[in-house]
Amino acid sequence: MFHLRLLVEYFKQYMKTRMSYRGDFLVQFISNFFHQGLNLVFILVVFQHTPSLKGWSQAEVIFIYGYFLIPWAIFSSFLNLWSFNDRYIIKGELDRVLTRPVHSLVQVIMETMAPESLIGVLTGGIVMGVAGWHLDLDWTWYDPLLFVVFTLGGVLIYAGIFIALTSISLYTDSKSDIQPIMFNISNYGRYPTNIYHKIIQFTLTWILPFAFVGFYPASYLLDHGEWKIYALLTPVVGAAYLAFGIFCWNRGIKHYRGAGN
Amino acid sequence: MRSIEARGLTKEFKVYQSRPGLKGAFRDLLNRQYRTIRAVDAIDLTIEQGEMVAYIGENGAGKSTTIKMLTGILQPTAGELKVNGFDPHREREKFVKTIGVVFGQRSQLWWDIAVQESFRLLKQVYQVPDADYKQRLDRMIEVLDIGGLLDQPVRKLSLGQRMRCELVAALIHQPKLLFLDEPTIGLDVLVKENIRRFLREINREFGTTVLLTTHDISDIEALCSRVVMLDQGKVIYDGGLQELRRNWAKGKKVHFELAREVDMSELEARTAGMPLRWERKGERQVVLHLEQPDLAVSDVLAQIVQHVHIVEMQIEEVSTEEIVRKIYQEGMTLA
Repeated sequence: MFHLRLLVEYFKQYMKTRMSYRGDFLVQFISNFFHQGLNLVFILVVFQHTPSLKGWSQAEVIFIYGYFLIPWAIFSSFLNLWSFNDRYIIKGELDRVLTRPVHSLVQVIMETMAPESLIGVLTGGIVMGVAGWHLDLDWTWYDPLLFVVFTLGGVLIYAGIFIALTSISLYTDSKSDIQPIMFNISNYGRYPTNIYHKIIQFTLTWILPFAFVGFYPASYLLDHGEWKIYALLTPVVGAAYLAFGIFCWNRGIKHYRGAGN
Repeated sequence: MRSIEARGLTKEFKVYQSRPGLKGAFRDLLNRQYRTIRAVDAIDLTIEQGEMVAYIGENGAGKSTTIKMLTGILQPTAGELKVNGFDPHREREKFVKTIGVVFGQRSQLWWDIAVQESFRLLKQVYQVPDADYKQRLDRMIEVLDIGGLLDQPVRKLSLGQRMRCELVAALIHQPKLLFLDEPTIGLDVLVKENIRRFLREINREFGTTVLLTTHDISDIEALCSRVVMLDQGKVIYDGGLQELRRNWAKGKKVHFELAREVDMSELEARTAGMPLRWERKGERQVVLHLEQPDLAVSDVLAQIVQHVHIVEMQIEEVSTEEIVRKIYQEGMTLA
């Protein structure tokens, strides 16, 4: 409860900051809007040329991709950890964070959030909507509910993995290039996993579970029953990976050596 | 309750040592060599509630590392540490509510938003009740004279303005213990005086313990009665500022301007047996070095004043700064 109130407070300040640079805010807003629009057109055009994949129709592939965009957008709005190493370790802002009575990770999240990325949810929603319209989907009353649960599960998986990776910075202040690699791997989650080799399927399910941020839940929403168990596991996997990420973070904080003066 | 109680507090860092040359780099790749550095070496430190203590040392003496352990940022390698009754690193979130921190080179405030917004955000972070918040803030705004700065973004403030706001930010939750790291670095005299007065006030009124690290000896003279001096990770002096001066300031210097030229031998003869030394500075200027602190200037004057006509005289105390410099140059033998 306390954290939620604080998050709202930080969010308000964030908005004030953004709006204090009036011109910048307007330009950013417009450019963001066009960027997303262009993205949307690009996605739709590219997928028009995608043939069906191993039993998945074109519209279904587009639907999965649309779904895939949503957890990613939420994740990147609230866990904007890309510049953590620079800002918190090298410039030493973590020292300040550690002298305040809120969990360090929560503070970092609040200080770095970029809520404008949430617009990706809209893009994903439109892509899903367009694809779903072509498909004759059978929506039950609890499907929207499951959709929310799946999405949150996906966000937690991203969060867990990237928090664990960011924790590496707490041990060493040299830069690691592992985050972009991980980002690339995460893109595998947006295609049906049965097109991949068994080993990759296994990896995407149990090691770097990016199949859970796109394919498994989306396939369930597409009424493909084969992956139902996996889809329903999404929140569990999310919770497990988040716990792992937080565990790495807390250990890392014990190891933190502080910035030199 | 004691503010700080440390016993055998130690922090070691493993430092990776690279070998020279390309060949060395290859060998490093396969077999890294580490060297352990003791930044803080078994320090014992006890500070009572309400004390104002200066923590000084050269760069690299281990000051910052100690402060970072005391504030919960770093976990000590060994030793016992209780600050305000907490283990700073293990109980960090509960503990930091009881301390305030001002790091001179690092801002507590949000760069882009107005000063008062930063204060409000900190109020939320520390969960300060509305009434307390208003009362404390009004008071601090008045004493530190920052009323006109509240609606300005921090990035537009001058250093002196910012430092005063930093102090408010660090004290909004009325901590029992305040850490100040170089609080007056680069400030002008008026702001320095303002800040010092403010610190004395909160210390007197709320019994706030203050631990100050500084290179500016005048800060110490103005605020602290106790000095802890650190060298190479060890405490080399812990005691009163007065004792430090008495033991190390080997007496004062007195500058004389005489009415006529006097032979040095005459002065020496008249003060024979006293622990002092005469030095000629000009035709009629001489300097008297009192070599023991308990030798009174009046005793010397009594010997010479009837025979030598003195036009002007000036007593020069040895500054604390000189003492500190001397200690670092010569090493601590007293203490």
